[in-house]
Amino acid sequence: MSPLCLLHDVGAPSLGVGGSWCKHWAPPSPVQGRAEGSGRNMPRLPAAAGRAASPAPPQLPDEPVSLQAAPGGLFRLRPGDPFSGPATVVWLAVLALGFALVCEPHENLLLAESTLRRLARRLLGALRLLGPGAEALLRAGHAEALLDRLLPHGQLLFLGEAAAQALEREAPAKALR
Amino acid sequence: MFTAAAEGLLKQAREIPEEELGRFVSHVAALLQGRDAGAEAVDCLQRLHLVVAATKYPRTLDGKFVELLQTVLCSPKYPEQVQVLCAAILREMSPCNELILSCDDVQDTKLLSLISSILLAQGDKKAEVSAVAQRVVKVLEGRLPEGQSFRHILPVLSNVISISPVSLAEEQINVVSKKMVDWLRYASTQQGVPQPSGGFFSNPRARQPGPVTEVDGAIATDFFTVLSLAQHYTEDQWLNMQAFSMLRKWLLCYGGEGLSTPNSDDRSEMDGSVISMVSTTSTSSHLLPPKERLREKAFEYCQRLIEQSNRRALKKADGELQKACLIEAVTILDIICKQDSSYVYRTLSSLKILHSRISGDVAFARALLPLAQFFLNHSETAAVDSDAVYKHLFTEIPAQLFHNPSLAFEFIQFCKDNSQLFTDTSSIFRQSFPNLFKFLAWNSPSLISEFVDLLPFLLDAGTAIEIFHLLLDLPCLTAALDIQLRSTSLSASEKAACDPAVKPATCLEAFRHPLYKSMFQYLLRVEAAPEDSPERLIPLRQLLGSLASSPRVVQCAETVPVLLELFFSVVAEFADKPLINQLVLLVLQRSDQLYETSAFKDDVYRVLSSQLLTLCKLHPALLVELSKELLEFLASVNNIRNKEALFTHMVWAIGEYMSVSYDKRCTVEQINRFFEALEATLFEITQLRPLASIPNYAPRVITVLMTTLTKLASRSQDLIPRVSLFLSKMRMFVQSPAVTSVYCEEDREEILNRATELMNLLKMPSVAQFVFTPPVDVATTAFQRDANESLPFALRIVSRLLEGGAGFMPG
Repeated sequence: MSPLCLLHDVGAPSLGVGGSWCKHWAPPSPVQGRAEGSGRNMPRLPAAAGRAASPAPPQLPDEPVSLQAAPGGLFRLRPGDPFSGPATVVWLAVLALGFALVCEPHENLLLAESTLRRLARRLLGALRLLGPGAEALLRAGHAEALLDRLLPHGQLLFLGEAAAQALEREAPAKALR
Repeated sequence: MFTAAAEGLLKQAREIPEEELGRFVSHVAALLQGRDAGAEAVDCLQRLHLVVAATKYPRTLDGKFVELLQTVLCSPKYPEQVQVLCAAILREMSPCNELILSCDDVQDTKLLSLISSILLAQGDKKAEVSAVAQRVVKVLEGRLPEGQSFRHILPVLSNVISISPVSLAEEQINVVSKKMVDWLRYASTQQGVPQPSGGFFSNPRARQPGPVTEVDGAIATDFFTVLSLAQHYTEDQWLNMQAFSMLRKWLLCYGGEGLSTPNSDDRSEMDGSVISMVSTTSTSSHLLPPKERLREKAFEYCQRLIEQSNRRALKKADGELQKACLIEAVTILDIICKQDSSYVYRTLSSLKILHSRISGDVAFARALLPLAQFFLNHSETAAVDSDAVYKHLFTEIPAQLFHNPSLAFEFIQFCKDNSQLFTDTSSIFRQSFPNLFKFLAWNSPSLISEFVDLLPFLLDAGTAIEIFHLLLDLPCLTAALDIQLRSTSLSASEKAACDPAVKPATCLEAFRHPLYKSMFQYLLRVEAAPEDSPERLIPLRQLLGSLASSPRVVQCAETVPVLLELFFSVVAEFADKPLINQLVLLVLQRSDQLYETSAFKDDVYRVLSSQLLTLCKLHPALLVELSKELLEFLASVNNIRNKEALFTHMVWAIGEYMSVSYDKRCTVEQINRFFEALEATLFEITQLRPLASIPNYAPRVITVLMTTLTKLASRSQDLIPRVSLFLSKMRMFVQSPAVTSVYCEEDREEILNRATELMNLLKMPSVAQFVFTPPVDVATTAFQRDANESLPFALRIVSRLLEGGAGFMPG
């Protein structure tokens, strides 16, 4: 099992689709089939301390969203709930969006946190997640490309700022629509 | 995020009828099969992906179309975007029966990566994992064609060994290990060249790239690592980064004797290793087999990272990476030492130096955990004393950094992973439990389930009482921590000492006020310190009541009932009679000294009252031993008003267990004393005063009191007339106008029925005695144990007997 990246709307836990885009690097354990647990079920997010999810649509920030101060944390999933083995979830909340990265027990959590922040920042831009329209749902290709660069096959990468930027520069010049 | 437009689109995608989907799929097929698979094809594929992803049950697409997707994927004439989307759709549909994809003979590494991602999502029903593993290693072994890169397939290998480490045979493991040695240790130290743009003015003699630099800007002093910076990177430098990223997993799987999974507990590595002080020198390392050679190079890489983490990074993101690398390096060194203890000696000295370097720097606090783990695992081997490390970790870190949620989480995981350390009562680990609870108090939602696992290890006869108080005061601890945090951020002038004569106006002032200072200090203590007079915290609890509505305090308060139940269930296993007595007394005492939020108090009373019964059941004689305190408790009508659950459960327990069959010391005098106390209480709450209203006690209080009085009377039969008289007056009570206005009809009927049944039972004293005080061995039959069934059943039988049911008795 490799790390998955899931995102869903904090205010509407029933929405499953956002997560499904990004869950492709989650092969099931060879024994069980794919249907259970591999991403269709969203991990529960604990309530961001004291903050209820706002029902009103979020304001669009003009500047790039700073994620350093974004609430986030870690929690554990027990075996069977919903993955076959134990897992640790790293989560991040940006306005009304929740991002979660599911890690295996031996993975570096500090690296997972910075990877998630980096991914979230890029995804917010590439998918225009805070936009008013439904565009975000039709940019799966962008999500795939981003994940392939920063989290290839679910592998957390030790990337400095220079390396991450070099990866960005390598992305095809003819950007996806 | 999901605006109305998005919600609408999602709904559409989910609910698209099969027919319409079929038509759409045909349209996409036509586009793909046509010459021009351009923007429109991409758009349609995105939509199709959404449809497949949006439904919760697997959507089946037409088999021919699925085949087409696979063909498109493998065909080089389609643009990359189209291929990526086809792969995404195929993955979304996995497991998929119509898959004809195979990775055999695939040369192109990007394509191999895409195909592997689909194959690995199939659930390994047809040995796909093994096939992928074989192919990837084959490609890695061979020469790379022009323009290709191993970068695309190395992560596939990492994924494979997570799923199924047995997919690689020994010689394949050796092949990859050798490559990893090259990538980790011998990557280029010159920066890469940018891809030439090839325009008219491009200079074929491109600018010579310089050497790579360290994070602080200095020229690199040694081999390339993930902490080396460049403008452009070469292929082998990328592979260096990827190889290090999967190094931990690789060593966990293949670095030890035999095969392990990355997640297995590899304690077995520690047994049977030869302890040797002789370190392997690098000059002879090329003679080592691949596994040992990789271990040596991994060791060097980690040592280099530790040195590099000492530099001052110019960019913040690089600083973060340094910390992550430090944690990874220490963890990998720990694994290496477990797998070959000859490394312990030389690792230990460098890690001791590292520890003294970072122990004062809170920015590196998270790295202290793997460091401590290393010392725990290997200090004994090297006969080194690391107590100072543990003391610093457990006394300083929680007090300073409880508010860091990630550190809190990892710290508690560390405690759980090393839970055997807490069993030794005198150890620094066990003694620091007050500090550990600070993590929970501040980060309750994420840590509550971790604490549920940890608490049993902290509890024993020596700590039970202190932990009991601590749990009840947990919301106070949250509030106190909040004040402590705010206080540290005050300026010096604001921190001026306050006048002891003046009462503090705010909690923040109280923090430095002489009257409250020692109370705060006790609450925020770092080590266990049993408190003889818990009532000295009462003023502090009242003061902190002003923070009761703070979200963090509320969340913490919600976790307390869960922990209290767990506390009692664990304590019940080892508590001796004196401890049980002490706990019962404390329950009664603390019930007046709880943090003032009504939801919290109600929940706590609910738990304490049911646990009180458990304690009474374990040690019924406590009713006799603590009779003085219990009588005081029962005599106060206030206790009914404020702590109804506690009161009724106590009364019930008395009825149940106050009997000579549970304790020989339960004399008739004892029973009479309790009877009189309860009778007085019942009298007080049921007396009808003219022109005064009846306070609204729950009917259950009245019925429990009546039942208990009856039970006691059945054991001391002189009391029977008194009870019968009382019960006969209940009809008048229930029908009086004052009562009809307060209690509803059902409740009044219930009270009356119960009174009648009890009276009837008392008319047959020996039956009553049997029903209410069965001999202890009879009480353990299944019928008797079911308290809900047996008593009403008995009462009904008796009532029918007395009402002379015809034909009920034989003869």
